[in-house]
Amino acid sequence: MTDAAVQRAATPTRAAVTTARKPRVRWKRVGFWALIVLIAVFLLFPFYWAINSSLKTEAQLQMTPATFIPRDPVTNDISVTFQNYKAVFQNDAFVRSLRNSALVATSVTVLSLLIGAFAGFALGKLRFKGKALSLYLILSMTMFPQVAVLTGLYAVILNLGISAIPSMILSYMLFTLPFTVWVLTAFFQALPDDLLQSAQVDGATPFQSFRMILLPLTAPALVTTGLLAFIAAFNEYLFALTFTTIEPNARTVPVAIALFSGEIARQEPFGEIMAAAVLVTIPLILLVLIFQKRIVGGLTAGAVKG
Amino acid sequence: MAVATEPKQKAPRRKKTSGLLRSEQRLAYWLLVPTIVILIAIAFYPLGSVFLKSFTNDTFASAVETEWVGLQNYSDLLSVTFAELPPEIDPATGEQVIDPETGEPEFLSSVEVLPREPRRYKDVFTFGLFGSQYVLGATDPDFILSIFDTMVFTVTTILFEVLLGLGIALALNTAFPGRGFMRAAMLVPWAILTAVSSRIWEWMFIDTRAGFFNVIFQRLGLSDGQTPWLADETFQLPAAIVIDVWKTTPFIALLLLAGLALIPGELYEAAEVDGASKWRQFTSITLPLLKPTLAVALVFRTLDALRVFDLFQIVFAQKKYSMASFAYYQLIDSQALGYSSAASVIIFVIITVFAFLYIRGLGITSD
Repeated sequence: MTDAAVQRAATPTRAAVTTARKPRVRWKRVGFWALIVLIAVFLLFPFYWAINSSLKTEAQLQMTPATFIPRDPVTNDISVTFQNYKAVFQNDAFVRSLRNSALVATSVTVLSLLIGAFAGFALGKLRFKGKALSLYLILSMTMFPQVAVLTGLYAVILNLGISAIPSMILSYMLFTLPFTVWVLTAFFQALPDDLLQSAQVDGATPFQSFRMILLPLTAPALVTTGLLAFIAAFNEYLFALTFTTIEPNARTVPVAIALFSGEIARQEPFGEIMAAAVLVTIPLILLVLIFQKRIVGGLTAGAVKG
Repeated sequence: MAVATEPKQKAPRRKKTSGLLRSEQRLAYWLLVPTIVILIAIAFYPLGSVFLKSFTNDTFASAVETEWVGLQNYSDLLSVTFAELPPEIDPATGEQVIDPETGEPEFLSSVEVLPREPRRYKDVFTFGLFGSQYVLGATDPDFILSIFDTMVFTVTTILFEVLLGLGIALALNTAFPGRGFMRAAMLVPWAILTAVSSRIWEWMFIDTRAGFFNVIFQRLGLSDGQTPWLADETFQLPAAIVIDVWKTTPFIALLLLAGLALIPGELYEAAEVDGASKWRQFTSITLPLLKPTLAVALVFRTLDALRVFDLFQIVFAQKKYSMASFAYYQLIDSQALGYSSAASVIIFVIITVFAFLYIRGLGITSD
């Protein structure tokens, strides 16, 4: 029996006693549900519109006024097509961008977690001079505006001739690494000091206790921060757009979607763009829903701790 | 974040651990080396080079030798001037010309008023005040306008996001069937890539009745269904604000929901017993206790909004700039490395000033 159930069971009796209040309570409920529905529509409608548009043919997309479900231009019957999805899968540039994004985001995540766990352990559990300063530096780096280093990084990359994918992997750590270090520091700090001390008494070096005791304990934190780093890297647009200017084959998903062009050069193929948008979004939404609790926890940890 | 720098060991063990302490310190430095090396390579070194380049006329693929130009880039980016537009006098009557259609008095055009030598000022915008017309001129009106627009964008989006986010958080903070679904739905806008959401909204804002907004506005009788939302100066910023509010409000609401969950329920029960109204409970319990969460949300969102790029670049390209998209186009389209660097430095300074003010004003410390 949950509280809600108890409440629901209790409500009718209370309402029956105070009959005068009954209509007011009912109106309140109606208002509340209207508000909830309004919020749900606000949150979900644009994505619904993308799905709706992705299932239309070019002719259906040009229908005015636009229909809220795909309809046949002549008979007005519901008529759905998957040709946009087919076209997107046959679009080499888009498929390549999926591979590029997966490679870049995974590499950034793994590197950030590895390097971030080292730094987080040092900052969270070890005693050394200059710790407060390092923490300040890391915190200020979490707010670093990427655009400030754009020209500098681009010049370096052009001068050294580094290709776009490694450039992205390296430069994305500008925003994933400080965040990862910050959150992992907090997690390491929350682990009891006794763990480290009893390991030391047993003759383990600090690094051994880090690897064998503390690291396994922070696995949940690693999953959360890793997920957030992955999403941030997957989402990145400014560096990706700039670095792939002269290397279109290295384009990542956001760049490919922003610059999407159909098989035949024509006006913007919004049907295909919407299909690509839906295809990219569904796995992300699933990922986010599966790890819902962790993500919300991680976001608030990252933010509230600030 | 609470940082325990003091060792919590008992006195007798201190002697034994001093050797350990030294090795611990050495280990700590080694563990920090990779992070520091990477941050130097991708943040501090490029930041330094951007700063140096901002004093040069460096241009990609240019035959001209790169030279130090001192503060030239900064002065080109930031020079502004105010001027009053004199009324347009009809030579025949000697009186101010009145527009026959609108009945408004006419003024000379800004081109005739703004200085042309030694550098040409172009108008950023004109505005009327107490019956006179003024013009704001700048040597680079695009950049000045991008600062202005980014500020308006930042203040407006944050205002709406915090108010709407608070409303949504309060509505969802009650127990009702479907609460789990709503919480999941809140993650949808957040999970959608910014590039993707920009394209979806671009399509919804398209300038014919194939677009959602033109259908709705026409049905409501508010327009003819041909409004060019993204091309018309009047609607550009409001459209950008709507897109960002949709994308980010759920994030704020999630943060605030987490903050609300931390407020003990007994406080409300006690207030209920004391006969405090719902509004009173909100202003005396909810708001004060939510302040830290609100402050954090505010800082993060402000710094994010000030560097907005994806949305402006994808939806408006060069029709309207944010500060960041201006710097990007200077770099990529104009290949003006020096000029773009100077713009980047200005953006960096603006964002740093905001961060400082916030951290001072809201009393956020590392502790």
